[in-house]
Amino acid sequence: MKNKLEDLKKQILDELAKAKSGELLRELEIKYLGRKGELSNILRGVKDLGAEERQEIGALANAIKTEVTAKFEEIKKETESKETATGFVDVTLPGKKIVRGHLNPISIIQAELEDLFISLGFMVADGPELESDYYNFEALNIPKSHPARDMQDTFYIDKKNAEGEYDLLLRTHTSPVQVRAMQKYGAPLKAVVPGRCFRSEATDARHEHTLYQFEGFMIDKDINFSHLKGVLELVGKKLFGEETKLRMRPKFYPFVEPGTNGEFTCLLCKGKGCRLCKNSGWLEVIGAGLIHPEVLRAGGIDPEIYSGFAFGFGLSRLAQLKYGIDDARLAMSGDLRFLQQF
Amino acid sequence: MYLSLNWLKDLVNIPKSTTPEELGTKLTNYTVEVEKIENQAAHFDKVVVGKVLEVKKHPGADRLSVTKVDVGEKEPLNIVCGAPNVSAGQLVPVALVGAELPNGMKIEERDVRGEKSFGMICAEDELGLGNDHAGIMVLDKKAKIGLPFSQYLKLDDVVFEVDNKTLSNRPDLWGHLGIAREIAVILETKITKEFQRILAEKIINDENLEKLGVKVEDEDLCPRYAAIKISGVDIKESPEWMQKRLSAVGMRPINNIVDATNYVMLELGEPMHAFDASLVPEIVVRLAKKGEAIKTLDGENRVLDNSMLVIADREKAIAIAGVMGSEGSEINPSTKTIILEAANFNAVSIRKTSTKLGLRTEASMRFEKSLDQNICEAALARCLELIRETCPAAAAASQVADMKKPAPNISPIELDLNWAARKLGEDLGKKKIVKILESLGFEAENAGPHLLRITVPTWRATKDISIKEDVLEEIIRIYGYNNIKAAMPMAEMKAPLENAERKLERRIKNILALGAELTEVYNYSFVGEEKLSKLKISPLDYLRLKNPLTNLQTMLRQNLLENLVDNIKSNQAKYERVSLFEVGSVFWDAVGRINKDSQRKENLPFQIKHLALVEAGTPAADVYDQVKGKFEYLLENFDLTARFEASEMVPEWADKKTFAKIIVRGEEIGSAANLAKAVLNSLGIKKEAAIAEVDLEKLARIILSSAEKTYEKPNKYPALERDLAFVVNENVLYNNIKAEIEKFNALIAKTELFDVYQGKNLPAGQKSLAFHVTYSSPHRTLESAEVDAVQEKLIAQLKQKFDAQIRNF
Repeated sequence: MKNKLEDLKKQILDELAKAKSGELLRELEIKYLGRKGELSNILRGVKDLGAEERQEIGALANAIKTEVTAKFEEIKKETESKETATGFVDVTLPGKKIVRGHLNPISIIQAELEDLFISLGFMVADGPELESDYYNFEALNIPKSHPARDMQDTFYIDKKNAEGEYDLLLRTHTSPVQVRAMQKYGAPLKAVVPGRCFRSEATDARHEHTLYQFEGFMIDKDINFSHLKGVLELVGKKLFGEETKLRMRPKFYPFVEPGTNGEFTCLLCKGKGCRLCKNSGWLEVIGAGLIHPEVLRAGGIDPEIYSGFAFGFGLSRLAQLKYGIDDARLAMSGDLRFLQQF
Repeated sequence: MYLSLNWLKDLVNIPKSTTPEELGTKLTNYTVEVEKIENQAAHFDKVVVGKVLEVKKHPGADRLSVTKVDVGEKEPLNIVCGAPNVSAGQLVPVALVGAELPNGMKIEERDVRGEKSFGMICAEDELGLGNDHAGIMVLDKKAKIGLPFSQYLKLDDVVFEVDNKTLSNRPDLWGHLGIAREIAVILETKITKEFQRILAEKIINDENLEKLGVKVEDEDLCPRYAAIKISGVDIKESPEWMQKRLSAVGMRPINNIVDATNYVMLELGEPMHAFDASLVPEIVVRLAKKGEAIKTLDGENRVLDNSMLVIADREKAIAIAGVMGSEGSEINPSTKTIILEAANFNAVSIRKTSTKLGLRTEASMRFEKSLDQNICEAALARCLELIRETCPAAAAASQVADMKKPAPNISPIELDLNWAARKLGEDLGKKKIVKILESLGFEAENAGPHLLRITVPTWRATKDISIKEDVLEEIIRIYGYNNIKAAMPMAEMKAPLENAERKLERRIKNILALGAELTEVYNYSFVGEEKLSKLKISPLDYLRLKNPLTNLQTMLRQNLLENLVDNIKSNQAKYERVSLFEVGSVFWDAVGRINKDSQRKENLPFQIKHLALVEAGTPAADVYDQVKGKFEYLLENFDLTARFEASEMVPEWADKKTFAKIIVRGEEIGSAANLAKAVLNSLGIKKEAAIAEVDLEKLARIILSSAEKTYEKPNKYPALERDLAFVVNENVLYNNIKAEIEKFNALIAKTELFDVYQGKNLPAGQKSLAFHVTYSSPHRTLESAEVDAVQEKLIAQLKQKFDAQIRNF
């Protein structure tokens, strides 16, 4: 056995010495060191030997393998440098593949927007996804039995309070954080709130019950409607490009007064009209307005001294628009064919 | 809600130059969102009335005829027709080449077995007018040849579809009249005489007539109840014009009485109800008795409770107030005398009742918006007028019963013009503001140099407008949002408060995605029973949804693991390796740390963010190492290390042998495990999978409380490295060996495991470990002999303590 091994070693080293080309080397490598190579075969056979012999032969075989492998590397290097010196280098070959991971497109857009607003002096505020009826509705000027509750299909938690009411829910928007932030930080206040929201509606290519919103608000003395327009114009330019224009029309949201809807020039056709904007040239993106005095009061802020604006939009929808994603469910799908594009 | 352009034209002057599209855009830009505009005439584009001149048998097909049809052009058209009833002299609807029929069929010039055909004679179903396909539709003999078919049907309306959600704060806009009022303002035109007449109309009370017995028991829930008995009624079809209008706005014509009440609702926004007077001896408006039953007009038996308002006669409820009438008192073919009701009900009460009963009607939708009680009289008068169109003998058979609570005083709103200018960002001037408000029906009285005293019109005062901010919206809305100049706010220059957790979360995501080759997934916050049972997790302490969408999403997740397993499964066929992470909230049925309301008496349920890393592939040992390695890589970015510790308590979803607690700075923050084979099987996962899931908030606290990094000077004395490899029993834990080495001698600066081996060449139950051990001193250069001596002793120590068998290199 021992002799057999020594012979094999000699044989390998001899052949190696003769090998001139990289190709030949690779063949030899497979022949001796490969998974089904001769040396590997012997090594596999070691386990069938007696205990004493096993230790001896095993050690020897391993030593030979180490030595031979080192020799292979050495000669490989030599021939490679020779080949490079004389031969042709295909510079068009790709480099070594480095794998990268991917962020969800919503995370990417969220980070971009957070940075924009942080640079303008806004803080990033957080709030719970499982909210109370109070913060999600009442504090936002949507009392019980108000028809405006129909505007948002709500998931309720199956847990009654002491009064026998279901007062826990999954937040339907990021706006509850407005009141929480007012209570925590007071005025003046500038904050943005990105986050997950829920609507209890069946999902299809156009609807998703789990969505991301991005909310912003500013409270100070003498904040006015033209300030809201100024900030929204900036958001539009950041999102859809410098040429983007803003168009507004009235829209009812109980937590703002006046309330408005903001449309931006369609990012695809630049306002000419296309399928994405249903030929209108505009994309409805934003809900906004001056914060309702009742909401400021709920936040402990005196509406006679301070005023504020607030706006919100769907991060999920924005990601869809920006990247041309045609199915609202993809962001939540965990499908790597989708995620690995970002 | 649907709006008919013809109807609106009765009520407001719409200039001929204003196209329906322009009107729709204006309504959208100033008042309510128009979702769709439908021109009825466009329905039958290129369909005309034609006269069949001759009919011959098709030479090549028994069942077909070849016809010549005059469609009002120079030459008659050759048309092949398959209908059995076609004959010369008939007037028929002809779809010309280029027409697209409501059923989607496109008409082209065709060759039908050798005969050219230039159009099609249509059957009812092809035109979407009915189901009849037995033969072609034969038209009235007087029809004009060549007349567009839509004109033959007298379809000349344009229908606007309005998004109801955009109307939810405007009780005044739930009828054509209210919209007409807005149109007059936004088109700067005038309402018609007809508008004014309808609103001013009243039934003149004849005191010689009997008094109608009406009793309102709860005037808070029914602030007004106006009713009158009308005799001389015959039940028949309502006039064609009325049927056309009702159909155009989506209301099915029923009979002249029901149609008249519906017409008034759609015109004035006031829902009405008609009872058969012979079935209703008197009227009581009261709360229902608990358990009181009523069979509503939709044929359902409904059980009421004592919070619901009903209209009743002496014995029983005959209508659920403001929601729906009952079968017992309804208009029927033999009705001769009716009672008409125009009432006003409390909005919250109607909404609660309709929500409880799950019964939303055109009436309840309007009442729940808080209607103006002043419209009731005009509604009664208008309804009687409409009934007289088909029943000229219809006349009041009672006095008008009008029970009303005095209308609440509408206190005027003071509008400081300086304040308005500050809120708008520009000063529009008193003149312009007054003009806008007056055009909307407000009264604006001078109350000082910069002060207006505003009186809100009754139709806007029920809920819609009550504070100065509401008035401001009216001004800005009509002035035009787009006419306000944009400006940036001026604010004190101040660095924003940093949200350290959020910032850290983003950094973690970047490290994992961009450094550790993981892909970020977002999963739903929900989980179902079936999944939990496959994961062998008990649904104890899971929060449940009251209204889940599917039985796969009935509870709130407690671990990210629960949905991450789906990602492995859905990707496993396409990817050899699935490497994911997620940051997300998880929930427990326990008291949390966040307050529930402003009083801070109670807290919301427990909810925190978790972070989870997943590796799926083969073999099991490798995915486990990977997931741990990637987590350690994450910590390394924050100069932290993780300790993995075996645990007595292994959850059932985890492989018993490969479950470890993750400990960072002495605090347990989560676990790393392989999923148990049986669990993988029941989930349908064909790969090995490992997961590390931690409490992100704990991790963040540890990271954020770490001391700031300080620079350490490199040791100027060289370090010496020795390798140490030995075989021990597989039960001896790495953690213990490492600790032993590290505390063995002060010269040992670092130990690093570089190889673990088990299997071939080693006896069963043994493993081989190999460490790099680094010796150094900050004070001097170490001697080789000195280090070797320590290493000798270390070897002896390991041998004694762990029965370690040293391997030579």
